[in-house]
Amino acid sequence: MKTTWKDIPPVPTHQEFIDIVLSRTQRRLPTQIRAGFKINRIRAFYTRKVKFTQETFSEKLGAILESFPRLEDIHPFHKDLMNTLYDADHFKIALGQLSTAKHQIEAISRDYVRLLKYGQSLFQCKNLKKAALGRMATITKRLKDPLLYLDQVRQHLGRLPSIDPNTRTLLICGYPNVGKSSFLKSVTRADVDVQPYAFTTKSLFVGHFDYRYLRFQAIDTPGILDHPLEEMNTIEMQSITAIAHLRSAILYFMDLSEQCGYSVQAQIKLFQEIKPLFSNKLVFLVINKIDVTRPEDLDPETQAQVQTLLQSDGVEMLQLSCTTQEGVQEVKNAACDRLMSERVNQKLKSGTTSGNAVGGRLEGIMRRIHVAMPIDGKVLVPHIPESVKNMKKFEKDDPNRPKNAREIEEENGGAGVYNIDIRKDYILKNPDWKYDKMVEIFDGKNVADYLDPDIAAKMDALEEEELRLEAEGFYNSEDDEDIDSEEEADILAKAEIIKEKHAIIRAEARSRKSLKNRAIIPRKFQKKPVSKLENALDEMGVDTESLALRGRSAVRDARGRSVTRSRLGTEDAGDTMDVDQTPLERLRSKSRARSQPMTNRLVDGVRNTELRDKAERHAKVMQRKMNRMARQGEADRHTSSALPKHLFSGKRGMGKTQRR
Amino acid sequence: MATRARFENSAEVGVFSRLTNSYALVAVSGSENFYTIFQEELQNTIPICRTNIAGTKIIGRLTAGNRKGLLVPTITTDQELQHLRNSLPDTVKIMRIEERLSALGNVIAANDHVALIHPDLDRETEEIIADVLGVEVFRQTVSDNVLVGTYCSLSNRGALVSPKTPIQDQDELSSLLQVPVVAGSVNRGSDVIGGGMVVNDWCAVVGSDTTATELSVIEKVFQVQTGAGPQDIGKEMRDTVVESFY
Repeated sequence: MKTTWKDIPPVPTHQEFIDIVLSRTQRRLPTQIRAGFKINRIRAFYTRKVKFTQETFSEKLGAILESFPRLEDIHPFHKDLMNTLYDADHFKIALGQLSTAKHQIEAISRDYVRLLKYGQSLFQCKNLKKAALGRMATITKRLKDPLLYLDQVRQHLGRLPSIDPNTRTLLICGYPNVGKSSFLKSVTRADVDVQPYAFTTKSLFVGHFDYRYLRFQAIDTPGILDHPLEEMNTIEMQSITAIAHLRSAILYFMDLSEQCGYSVQAQIKLFQEIKPLFSNKLVFLVINKIDVTRPEDLDPETQAQVQTLLQSDGVEMLQLSCTTQEGVQEVKNAACDRLMSERVNQKLKSGTTSGNAVGGRLEGIMRRIHVAMPIDGKVLVPHIPESVKNMKKFEKDDPNRPKNAREIEEENGGAGVYNIDIRKDYILKNPDWKYDKMVEIFDGKNVADYLDPDIAAKMDALEEEELRLEAEGFYNSEDDEDIDSEEEADILAKAEIIKEKHAIIRAEARSRKSLKNRAIIPRKFQKKPVSKLENALDEMGVDTESLALRGRSAVRDARGRSVTRSRLGTEDAGDTMDVDQTPLERLRSKSRARSQPMTNRLVDGVRNTELRDKAERHAKVMQRKMNRMARQGEADRHTSSALPKHLFSGKRGMGKTQRR
Repeated sequence: MATRARFENSAEVGVFSRLTNSYALVAVSGSENFYTIFQEELQNTIPICRTNIAGTKIIGRLTAGNRKGLLVPTITTDQELQHLRNSLPDTVKIMRIEERLSALGNVIAANDHVALIHPDLDRETEEIIADVLGVEVFRQTVSDNVLVGTYCSLSNRGALVSPKTPIQDQDELSSLLQVPVVAGSVNRGSDVIGGGMVVNDWCAVVGSDTTATELSVIEKVFQVQTGAGPQDIGKEMRDTVVESFY
């Protein structure tokens, strides 16, 4: 059952409420709309806005309505307490207003959605939406007061003590200033304010204590004055509510010393006044401040009056003094004992049917409280060693006690670090045997049987050998290739020489600067004098005579006419005809043809005339553009200025620049 | 005196320990907290032995024993058996039983005079139990449950059985065991009594979830608190029990 309402979410003010809802509409829905959109789309856009706003309003209002307790659903005690504190009518009206507003907003939404179906333009639709949202906001504005009120109620509800109306309860009531809070303070750990003036306690206070393994709650109520119920204020009414509704033992506190400022008569009268509320409850008349006045000290008349209070059924008088703590525990115990037996009796009664048969849950309880004793009463003898009988109880602060295992563990590094000595507590004939090496058995076999006793020595020897080999360089892999034979060595040496020569030639070729600026001619096109060939062949011992002759004859026809005049015939031959001219003159007198290139470049490289024509045509086409652009040749890239300055500068007179 | 304890965040202390009048077994754990509780309770009056059984910590469920003997299941390793032999006094007989139901703690509940056993236990095992533990053996169930060791806790002074046990069964058990029998719970309403607590004739260790009411019932049944007997449960404790469980 719910006894506290600490989890009600805060209630926003009306302004915050509107802001929350409208900004949510703005954030969650699309905002782009144009007059040019189809009207259906525009209508849908605004309908959605209106509907969403209404849904948000309904959701938020619904959440507030849900979060507050419904007075019909909660325990009558809490209901009455809320009635006293917040005025049930006011509370209900506030919630009712919220609910009405919710319905109104829903109705508005329905209406405007219907109207939006007939919207003809963006402007119309927009205005309809604006009107709808405006009306919703107006309704919310009217919720200003209920929202404020509900937030205050929420804050107060959250601070109410958690009172369980069904548990074991001691209820402390009486006139103001008779020592109710002092009693609560002495029996529980509740931190209540105790002051020497009336109405220090203005609301219900709860404290808890344990008695006979059970948790009890003690409730301190504000003081009550002796006047009719109708005239009681909120503070007093809280006490009345608690007295009326809680299943509890009621401790009616009285101050016979009249230090509280109220006469004994008044206190007796109040008791009589609220007595109807005590029906079906345990009532104790608790006389407080007995360090000042005891009942016996009163005059006989008052004593008799006090005694009359006890005559009503079940009222018991108890005495205590909170100042001296005299009787405080006794009062508490007496009240608790009677309350317990009362409750237990009720439970037992309710669990038993008319035929005295125990059923349901009670049966389980009866099993628990049944003690089965052996029939013949013979009981086994316990076996408790002598050492237990004179064992000292463990005292944590005893300086002489031996260290316990946890302390030893802490000293040795704590859990996880410290390793327990499992053999320390062995009980053996000779304590020296504790750490003896013991036979280790695995799968029924002695592990030692499978051990080579020399295994350690053998292992050491192996390791030593390994180290030695490593030191000797046994494992170095550089010189492990042996040379097989002389032959192989010879080959390798020659290969080495060849390799070196290659490298030298390459280096020479690279470093040859004699080339100067001349083109590098591939070797096969380089001219080599025949003499070189002859020399080389001669060196190898090949006959070269025929070679030279053949080469000369092959070359002769291919040659064109010599560029220089031939010296042929310039020498005198002995058997030549005698002429009167000198050889030079003779030479000069002869006509001579124009020197011809070795090949005709026009026909060179083309197979036939057909191809030559084609090449000529192609050459003309290629020439065309060059000619048009007045290029000097293929490589002419000259760009003349587009706007020659001398043609385009100067003052302009009439007309446009282009129309001069 | 009854003490609340936890073994490695488990309140089922009866699973991880075994307590008799002449020795205590405690499971080996990462820290000494659990062992220390036994040490403080027993203070060298009886040997406390840290051990595993079959490499597990659930020694309370795997072993059964009393003042005179200890029974360990067949899965116990030779090393563990030897360790137990070395750690326990020579007056305690230790026996490894070849029994199909190897969780001996669950199927045997014994004090120094009587043992309740699972009805399906071997005849041979029954004889061994009678010999080693020196007890009268009864094949019994507790609240219609065959796991007698799980659902009850026994000492020479009293017995606590599962709260579901009917009153007739309690009376029957009481006359069988010759000790007062009470139905109760441990660890906030748990009915696995044997798993939630261990007890001998002068002290008890219960799971840390045990409520004050349960604890006081335990103290009274087993008379581990001076000046309190089981008959108090029907009188003084009655109201408290009714109030807390109804």
